[in-house]
Amino acid sequence: MALSTPGSGTSVAVESRTLAGVDAVPAPGPPAAELAAPARGSSSLGRDAWRRLRRNRLAMAGGIVIALLCVVAVFADLLAPLPYTKTDFGRLNELPSRDFPLGTDALGRDLLSRMIYGARVSMLVGLGAQLIVVAIGVPIGALSGYLGGRVDVLLTRFIDVMYAFPRLLFVILVMSMLGAGLVNIFIAIGLTGWVGIARQTRAQVLTLKGTEFVDAARALGGGSARILTRHVLPNALTPIVVAVSFGIPEAIFTEAALSFIGVGINPPTPSWGQMVGEGQQYIRSYWHLCVFPSIAIAVTMLAFTFFGDGVRDALDPKLK
Amino acid sequence: MFHYAISRLLWLVPTLLAMALVTFLVMHATPGSPLDPVAEGANPLSPETQKNLAEHYGLDRPLWQQFAIFVGNAVQGDFGHSYVYKTRTVREIILETFPVSLLLGSMALAIAVVGGLTLGILAALYQNRGWDYLSVSLATVGVAVPNFVLAVFLIILFSFVVPLFPTGGWDSPRTWVLPTLTLAMAPMGIIARFTRASMLEVIRADYTLTARAKGLGEGPVVFKHALRNALIPVVTLLGPMFAAVGTGSFFVESIFRVPGMGQFFVLSMTGRDYPMIMAVVLTYGVFLAVMNLVVDLTYGALDPRIRY
Amino acid sequence: MANLPIPGAQIDLLAERLAAVGVDRRDFLRIAAALAAMGAAGFDARPAAAAPKPGAGEKLAKQQHLRYGGGGWYSQDPASHDYNKDLYCGGTQQLWAGLMSFTADLEAVPYVAEKVSANKDGSVWTYTIRKDSKWSDGSPCTARDFEWSWKRQLDPATAAPYASFLYDIKNAEAYNKKQITDPSQVGVRARDDWTLEVTLEGPRGYFPVLSAYSAALPAHRPSVEKHGDRWTEAANIVCNGPFVLESWEHNRVIVLRKNKHFFGAKDITLEKVTIPIIPIASGILPYENNEIDLTRPQTADLKRLQSDPRTAKEVFRFPYPGTWYLLPQVTKAPFDNVKVRRAVAHAIDRENVVRVAQGFAIPAHSMIPPGFPGALDDARIRAIQKFDPEAALAQLKGTPFEGGRNWPRIVLSLRDEALGSKPLAEAVQAVLLEHLNMKTELEVLEPRVFRDRLWKQDLQFVWIRWFMDYPDPHNEYFDTFYGKRTTGRRQAWVNDAFDKELEAGRDTRDTRKRLAHYAKAEEILQTDVGYVPVAWVVRYAVAKPYVRGFERNRQGELVADGNIYVDMLSHLYIVEKA
Repeated sequence: MALSTPGSGTSVAVESRTLAGVDAVPAPGPPAAELAAPARGSSSLGRDAWRRLRRNRLAMAGGIVIALLCVVAVFADLLAPLPYTKTDFGRLNELPSRDFPLGTDALGRDLLSRMIYGARVSMLVGLGAQLIVVAIGVPIGALSGYLGGRVDVLLTRFIDVMYAFPRLLFVILVMSMLGAGLVNIFIAIGLTGWVGIARQTRAQVLTLKGTEFVDAARALGGGSARILTRHVLPNALTPIVVAVSFGIPEAIFTEAALSFIGVGINPPTPSWGQMVGEGQQYIRSYWHLCVFPSIAIAVTMLAFTFFGDGVRDALDPKLK
Repeated sequence: MFHYAISRLLWLVPTLLAMALVTFLVMHATPGSPLDPVAEGANPLSPETQKNLAEHYGLDRPLWQQFAIFVGNAVQGDFGHSYVYKTRTVREIILETFPVSLLLGSMALAIAVVGGLTLGILAALYQNRGWDYLSVSLATVGVAVPNFVLAVFLIILFSFVVPLFPTGGWDSPRTWVLPTLTLAMAPMGIIARFTRASMLEVIRADYTLTARAKGLGEGPVVFKHALRNALIPVVTLLGPMFAAVGTGSFFVESIFRVPGMGQFFVLSMTGRDYPMIMAVVLTYGVFLAVMNLVVDLTYGALDPRIRY
Repeated sequence: MANLPIPGAQIDLLAERLAAVGVDRRDFLRIAAALAAMGAAGFDARPAAAAPKPGAGEKLAKQQHLRYGGGGWYSQDPASHDYNKDLYCGGTQQLWAGLMSFTADLEAVPYVAEKVSANKDGSVWTYTIRKDSKWSDGSPCTARDFEWSWKRQLDPATAAPYASFLYDIKNAEAYNKKQITDPSQVGVRARDDWTLEVTLEGPRGYFPVLSAYSAALPAHRPSVEKHGDRWTEAANIVCNGPFVLESWEHNRVIVLRKNKHFFGAKDITLEKVTIPIIPIASGILPYENNEIDLTRPQTADLKRLQSDPRTAKEVFRFPYPGTWYLLPQVTKAPFDNVKVRRAVAHAIDRENVVRVAQGFAIPAHSMIPPGFPGALDDARIRAIQKFDPEAALAQLKGTPFEGGRNWPRIVLSLRDEALGSKPLAEAVQAVLLEHLNMKTELEVLEPRVFRDRLWKQDLQFVWIRWFMDYPDPHNEYFDTFYGKRTTGRRQAWVNDAFDKELEAGRDTRDTRKRLAHYAKAEEILQTDVGYVPVAWVVRYAVAKPYVRGFERNRQGELVADGNIYVDMLSHLYIVEKA
C-alpha cells in the first residue's frame, strides 16, 4: 500500500486502483487474498476454469457483450449506417427517429454511427492504455519482486511515489505536456496507471518466489531471467489479466473525464467519453446526446466487471 | 507499533521530496507560461512586465535554485502566493478549501461505507441470486456512470422533477445532499464489490465452516466470524479512497458550486499556477500517506495475525 | 470644454494604449464611436446614471434584491477587487466610481468628475470633482485620492501589470520603468481637494475616455496602507462606487449592498445583489431552478428557452461584436499556394456552418459586423470569397491538388474554450471535406499553448476569433493584420499593398476617405486570402420577468454588463411578481 515500508508486516497487499480515480475512474482490482494460487497442472485447471466460467451466466453474458463490442469496433465501417463525419446542418440535435435511430448530434451527425465508431475509439483507448500499463507495470513489479534487496527497495519507493500523485492532476499534467489526441491519451493514462499493476505483480511474484516449483527450477540450474519469464510470470498472469479487464473500462472512463475538462480526443473523432463529456451540457435540452453514450459506457463497464469477476472466480481453485 | 508509525512517517519525507521534484520538472516542461495574463481575452504582457513578473516570482533563476527555494519555503509551510489569486497565499487557499472537501468527502464516504457494506454482504449471502445481481448492478452503475453525468441526473431529478434540493451552493445542509450523494456513488460501488468478493471467500473458509458445524446460527456466523475477517481488505481500500474523496472532486465541485479543494486539481494546471500545483500534489500525498498509516494501524486491530 | 477634434495620430495612440492593456476583446466596443460623439458634443454631453423609472403598471417589489451570475459572469473567484492595481482582477467593478463612466452607447461621460476641461491643444486636462463624492466610510473622495491611486498604479513597487495604460501622463512611463524615481514629476496633481490636473506627454484628445476605463479607478489609500494586498477583502475594503462589498466568501458568493454614501445613491434602486460563483459547467440549471434572476445562456439551452413560451420573453440578445475566421498560414504547405487558399475561401458554406452555432453566430463576409464603423457587407465584398463549390474546385486546377486529391496532412488548430467554438470548427472541417475533399485534423490546444504557438506563427491552419476592442477599422485591420508589426502577429501573411492602405487609413483625416482605404484593404486581404471570414458572434442574456430596467443603446438593443459598460446594476430594479 502506498507509502508503506517494504517488508512491513502488512502484507495483505490489497490493491485499489482508485486514486483520484473515484473522480476519474475507479475500478476495483481483486484483493490479493483471492489471487489465484500457482497453476498446478495447468491444462486441467484450464478446463476446470472454463467449465466453471461457462456455468456462470453473468460472466458469460459479460463475455458475449465484450465479444460483440469487439465485433462492432472492428467492423465499424460496415456496421455504421453513415460515416461518422457526415453532417446535416439542417437536422441538428434531433431526437431518435426512423432516419436516425439514436437521433443526431450538434452537427447533425447520426448518433448511432458515431456510437459505433466510438466503440472502436473507446476500445482502442482502453486497450492502448492498458498495453502501456502492462508494459511498464509488469516488468517493474516483476523485477522488484523477483530481485528483491536494494532493487526492490528502490523500485518500491518509486512505485510509492507514483502512487501518491493525485491521478487526475497528473493525467492533465501529462496531457498538457503532450497535447490532446488519441495516442497521447494512451500515454497519459498509461503513464499514470501502471502503479497498481506493478504492485500486484510484485506481490504475486513475491509469493511465487517462495514456492517449491521455483526452487525446483532454480535447482535445475535455470537462470534468473528464464525462471522469471518461464515459470514465475505465467503463474502470475491471472491477476494481471483480471486487472487489465478492469483497467479497460477504467481508461474509457478517464477519457470521458478528460473530454469533460477539455483535454480529450480531438474532434471529429468520436469516442463515448467525448460524447458524454460534451453531451452533459445538453442534458436539459437534448438528453439523447448524453444518455446513449452513458449507457454504452455503463454496459461496457458492467460487461467487463462481470466477465472479470467470472474469470477470477473460475480461476480461483479455492472457490470451487 | 509506535516505531512502525514513526518509520513510516520518516519515509514520507523522501517520498514527498521525490513527488515534488517530479511535479516540478513535469510542470516546467509543460508548454504555456505562468506569466501569461490570467484573463482570457487579455493581450500578452509586454516583455518588461514579463521580466518584472518573472523576477517577482523568482522564475528567472535557474531551475535547481527555484526548486531549492521552493523546498526551503515549503518546509516552513510556505507555498508562496498563488499566481492566479495573486493576493492570497496558497496555504491560505488550501486551509480554506480543504476542510470543505474533507467534510463533503467524509459524508460521502460514510454513505459509501454503509451502503457498500450492506450491498456487498447481501450480494455475498445470496450469491448468484436476485440480491446479488441487483447489488452488483447497482454498484456498477454507481461506478460506471461518470459523476458529472450522475450529478446532472440527480439535479434534474431532485431539483426539477421533485424539487427538494437546490442545484448547487454550499450554504446549508440542504445544499450538501446532492453533491454528497453524487460523490458517494462510485466508492459505494467499489466497496460493495470488495465486500462481496471478500465475504464470499471468508464464508467458504475453514473457520466459518467450523463455526457453522458447531451449530452457530447464520446471523452470528456472518456478523461475528465472517464479516470481521471480510472487512480487512475493505478497510485497506478505505485509505486511498478517503484520500481521493476527501481531497475533493473537480467534477462534483464545479457542477454543484462547492468551494472545495478539488477544483484546483484541474484549475491549477490550466492556469499554470505553479505554487498551487505543488501544494495540491503534496497535500494529496501527505493526506494519502496519513490515511494509509491510519488504516494499517486500525486493521492491525482487526487481524491479530498482523504484527508491527 | 472645447470641442476638440481628435487627430488620427491620437487615435493611434489610443489604439496603442488599449492594445497595451489588452482591453478585453469581448466587450470593448465603440470607443471610437464614443470619440466621434465627443468630438461633436463634448464630454459633458450627457449626465451619468439617471434614475431608473418604473414604467406604467410596474410596481417596485419590497425586496430589491438581485441574484445574478453564471454563463461566464463570475465563473471563477475574483483574484481581488483591486482594479487600481490590475484591471483583470475579475472583481466587482460596481464597487468603484471613476472620474468618467461609459454609457450604454459607450460614450464617456462625467461621473465622479462633474466637469472636464482641457487646455487648447488637449495636453492638459482638468477634472472638477463633485463635492458630494465620498468613500463608503463617509469620508470625502477627493482629487488627492485619484492622484495617489494613479501614482500607486505607476509605482514600479506596485508591479501593476497594466500600468502602461496610464503612459499618456507626463513622465508616467519613465517613472514606471524606474528611469526617474520622483513621483512628483509624474503629471498628475491635485490642485486642491476638488481639482485634478493631468498633464500629458502631448495632445491627447481621447484622454477622458481612458479615464472612464476600469484601469483608472481609484483605490482607498488608508485601506491599502493598512491591509496591503488584502485591502479588498470584505472586512477591509472601503470603496466609492454605487455598491459596497457586504461579504465575499471566496469561491462561494459575493454579496453587494447599496452604498448609502455614493453620490448617486438616490438613483440606485437595488438594495442588495448576490453573485454566486457559478462555473460554466453548472449551465443554466440555477437560473431555471430560480436560484438566480439573471444569467447568460449558452448554446445548449438557448433554443429550449426560446421555444418555451414561459421563458421565450426572458431571453434577449446583447451587443458583443466579434468575428470568427480562418487563417491559412501562407508559409506552410498547401496554403503557400494562393489557389489553395482561394479554394478554401470558396468552399466555406457560411450559411450552413453558422447553423451549428444555434443562434450564437451569423455568416460573416468581412471583419467588421454590420452596424459598426467600417462595416462591409455588400455584394462586391461578398463576391470575393462567396460560397461556390465549383469555383472552389476550379481553383485547384493546375495545382497538385486538382480534383481534391493529394492533400498533405492538414491540422486546423483552435484553442479550448467554452461552448461554441468547437462545433463551428467542426462544421468548417465538414464543409472542407465535403467540397474540397480536404481532410483536416482538428487540434484543440490549451489557451496558453495556443497563444504561445500563434505568436510564433507555428500553426498551419488556425480557427480563431477577434473580439472588437473599439469600433474603429484600425482595430480590426491594423491590430490584427498589419504586416510590419513585430509582436503579436497572428499570421505570417504580409502584403505591401494592404499595409499601404492601412497606413493611409491611419493617416487620413477624412472619415469617408478613411473608410474607402479600409474597404480597399479588406478587398486585398480577401483576394489574397490572408484570412477567410466565417461567422460573426452573437450573445444572449436571460432575465426573470421581474428584473427590469436594462438600458437600451441607440440601436435599440438591450445592454447587459460587459467590460466597458458596467452600469447595469445601477439601472436594474425588481418589480412585484405578477
